[in-house]
Amino acid sequence: MIRLRNIDKYVDKKFQRTFILKNIDLDISEGEFITIMGPSGAGKSTLLNILGFLDEPSEGEHYFLNEPVHQLSEKKKSQYHRSHIGFVFQAYHLLDELTVYENIEMPLLYRKVKTKERKAMVADMLDRFNMVAKKDLFPSQLSGGQQQVVGVARAIIGGPRLLLADEPTGNLHSEQSQQIMELFKRLNENDGVTIIQVTHSDEMASYSNRIINLRDGTIVRKNPYRLIQ
Amino acid sequence: MIKHYLILFLRNIKKDKSTFLINLLGLSTGLACVLLIYLWVNEELVMDKFHKNHDRIYQVIEHLDFSDGIQTYLETSGPMAEFLAEEMPEVEYATSTIPPEWFGEHLLSVGNNTLKAVGQLVSKDYFKIFSYELIRGDKTEAMTDPNSIVLSRKLANSLFGSIENVIGKLVEFEQNRQFRVSGIFENVPSHSTVQFDFALSTEASKEIPPWTSLQTWNSSGPKVYILVKEGANIPNLTTKIEKVRKNRDENTIRTATLAPFAQLYLHGKYENGKLTGGRIQYVKLFSVIAMIILIIACINFMNLSTARASQRLQEIGVKKAIGAQRNSFIFQFINESVLMAFVALILATVLVWLFLPRFNTIVDKQLTLTLDMPFYITATSIVILTGILAGIYPALYLSKFNALTILREKIRSTSSESWTRKGLVVIQFSLSILFIISVVVVYKQIEFIQNQNMGYEQDQIVKVNIEGTLKDRLQTFISEAKKLPGIENASSTTHTMVGQNWSGTLDWEGKDPKNNTQFQIFGVDYGYIETMGMEIIAGHGFSREFGADSAGIIFNETAIRTMGIEDPIGKTVENGRAKIIGIVKDFHFKSLHDNAEPIFMVLMPEAVKYVMVRIEAGKERDALEALRTFYEDFNPDYPFEFEFLNENFQAQYASEQRVATLSRYFAGLAILISCLGLFGLAAHTARQRTKEIGIRKVLGASVGNVVALLSKDFIRLVLIAIVIATPIAWYAMNRWLQGFAYRIDLQWWILAAAGLVAVVIAMITVSGQSLRAAMADPVKSLRTE
Ligand SMILES: Nc1ncnc2c1ncn2[C@@H]1O[C@H](COP(=O)(O)OP(=O)(O)O)[C@@H](O)[C@H]1O
Ligand SMILES: [Mg+2]
Repeated sequence: MIRLRNIDKYVDKKFQRTFILKNIDLDISEGEFITIMGPSGAGKSTLLNILGFLDEPSEGEHYFLNEPVHQLSEKKKSQYHRSHIGFVFQAYHLLDELTVYENIEMPLLYRKVKTKERKAMVADMLDRFNMVAKKDLFPSQLSGGQQQVVGVARAIIGGPRLLLADEPTGNLHSEQSQQIMELFKRLNENDGVTIIQVTHSDEMASYSNRIINLRDGTIVRKNPYRLIQ
Repeated sequence: MIKHYLILFLRNIKKDKSTFLINLLGLSTGLACVLLIYLWVNEELVMDKFHKNHDRIYQVIEHLDFSDGIQTYLETSGPMAEFLAEEMPEVEYATSTIPPEWFGEHLLSVGNNTLKAVGQLVSKDYFKIFSYELIRGDKTEAMTDPNSIVLSRKLANSLFGSIENVIGKLVEFEQNRQFRVSGIFENVPSHSTVQFDFALSTEASKEIPPWTSLQTWNSSGPKVYILVKEGANIPNLTTKIEKVRKNRDENTIRTATLAPFAQLYLHGKYENGKLTGGRIQYVKLFSVIAMIILIIACINFMNLSTARASQRLQEIGVKKAIGAQRNSFIFQFINESVLMAFVALILATVLVWLFLPRFNTIVDKQLTLTLDMPFYITATSIVILTGILAGIYPALYLSKFNALTILREKIRSTSSESWTRKGLVVIQFSLSILFIISVVVVYKQIEFIQNQNMGYEQDQIVKVNIEGTLKDRLQTFISEAKKLPGIENASSTTHTMVGQNWSGTLDWEGKDPKNNTQFQIFGVDYGYIETMGMEIIAGHGFSREFGADSAGIIFNETAIRTMGIEDPIGKTVENGRAKIIGIVKDFHFKSLHDNAEPIFMVLMPEAVKYVMVRIEAGKERDALEALRTFYEDFNPDYPFEFEFLNENFQAQYASEQRVATLSRYFAGLAILISCLGLFGLAAHTARQRTKEIGIRKVLGASVGNVVALLSKDFIRLVLIAIVIATPIAWYAMNRWLQGFAYRIDLQWWILAAAGLVAVVIAMITVSGQSLRAAMADPVKSLRTE
């Protein structure tokens, strides 16, 4: 599904080139649940953003469903965002002015889904995540865990084939975190959504089926399956 | 999707009510100004356009080539109309008129019912050229008989109580001549420059003095209008008409030419024979001013939107990650600003409705706010344009952010953005300061004019028309009036004392044959100079004691200077026919736009038209009451009407007064809206820097220090605005003042004062916010972080 070849990401500052990512080679197949781990500043978020087309690599080749991403136009990328890729953020990034219902509905507006169909899809999503009673509340009236559930619902309502989550449980208690991970697992197993998440927690990583270790912008190849028995 | 945008629009308003209010107030006042000016301009633009053939109606005007430049008269000679109708195949009809402003008010009676009405003299095809539709009678026949009179619906109703069966009835004119009603026309609409309630035939004028002399080629008397045939070649016709006068008289200084009638109202100002503008200049000026106020309000919107960008960035980031494209944001934000403008329009309409009566008095019109289709269309277009104008920059600015930078949460307002904001604030204040300076200068100039020494006692003199019994027994009237309590003196004259009147040339010894200086002619009676309180600087005024004064002539200083006569008293002009008996100090009878003109005065008791009565200061009320009683007894058929010369004179500055009043309002609004914006920005800055202020206070900064810190930036912007606005204002106001022959010097303190006002107002606006921030408990502000 995804193929990265010789991906470099660097910034040039005062005659000095700093690498954030260096020589990344990575293949991801459809249906995988991957965790990216590594110390702070290792380049995890950068890698995730590149995988989600939000950032561009400085060098290298990036294929998504056999399409060369490095040659895609902005418009084409937007189309992929709408139809193939969902994001879950550490800070949830729900829109404060919109209710739970409206937040979940929003991606469908940009996909020009018809009103009736939209209603059904949002209702379905609320049902699935047990949020029906809270649909008219604003984000500020929810707990962090509930907000992230809404964040996940918003990310998957468009039916993405790839879900990217940058420290989705970073601001949550362990109980709430487990809930989110259960959600991810079900999505991955039942719906076949490919998931790539960044986390610092071994526990959260244990939900996935492959771990990529990142250190100083490069993938540590040694014992990549350490955590998986 | 639209619903989604609407929800975000409304909820963002709810979240930040003060910004919404600032924008609402600013935009609605801006829009109200634009709407008022739109109503006014609309009315100006339709002036005289209701004539069905308005694009084929031309007025014959004349350029007179005097030694000191070309003057343009809207009048031409008597025979012109008939000549054009007969000789020029392009001309379908031509008419010769003595216009209402000349012919004036006259008494009309039917039986015992007598009233005064404004009329004009027109020749036979008048009603075929102009669309004053005849509702009774026939337009071809109406003016053929010299004994015909045509009445307006209103006048017919007043005279006869009805418009039915009026044709053929008699109306008595000035109690000495009968005219037969031959037609009734629909009341003249307010957007006609020619306002009249009855028309007589110019044929009749031959017997109505003083219009008897207008039938020669060597005079400028009637206004002549022509209707050209469809498809006529106008430049060709103009060339032919230009030759008409020359062909009759090689040495004439007159050139007749054509001006499109319906455009003269707006484009009627000729300088040195060239069309240089007219009321269109005011139309443009006020349109620009209204636009500027709206722009100032739009700048508020831009500044507050971009300053508060951080509140919308999260939305943009998330939506971009979801796949929203830049266009959708531009559309969304412009939508919001258009919606905002639309909300403002509703308030603006209310404001217009509230202020229309006041506005009408200022511009001297009867504008009405009709919520009809054209209004909706205009208002909607204005709203959309305003929305786009206000929204385009924030939309482009906000939509430019990419999801990555936003979601990483590393946004600080970039320096380029705050530069734009500062630039916009500077523009706002430059415009405001420009307005303030203009207001002060215009005000000072008008005050200066009003306090000018006129060279005669303008404030104490009333003018009474000579009509009815006064005509026959003028000397009795004057000598009796002089005896009334509170009346100091009285005399009579041909000159209104306002503007142009009769003028002519004169011969004197040593005159350059090419010199054709026009002298204003004052035909006067004995005691005129004394009554007016003019100053004799040599010789004496007309007085019965000096016997042979009937051949005497009095000049003003300018005339003597122009002629270059040394030791003038006792010398003669006009080949010995008139002897110079006195010199009067220059006095003003035209508006102070113009320099003093050469004049002469001669005794002409038989031609005088106005009695000038001088009233003792402080006894105006009693004197006028006594004069009224005496007049009504002496001249029972005519109502007692009088005018103070100063009022009459001030009327010449009506348009300047109008500019002054309007610009005062506009300047106030401009500075108000600018300050609203500044207030919003200051509040925003104070909020943004809460933490910094807290730290500074903990470290020992005083309230004063903090206020200074926060206000400094804004005041600096206002100072820059002063630097920009002052030279522009200096230049613009100097140009405006050039239009006055008598004008104030543009003093530096006016500019300095305007700048100071701006700084003080800005300071008050900003320091309130700063003070609030500075007084806040630092510990609290630090804890919230
Ligand atoms: N646009 C950028 N310019 C400069 N440095 C950057 C930029 N983006 C990221 N970095 C740097 O690259 C490194 C990796 O960042 P990031 O991918 O956020 O790491 P992680 O998510 O693993 O903590 C960090 O040191 C960060 O400071
Ligand atoms: Mg990170």
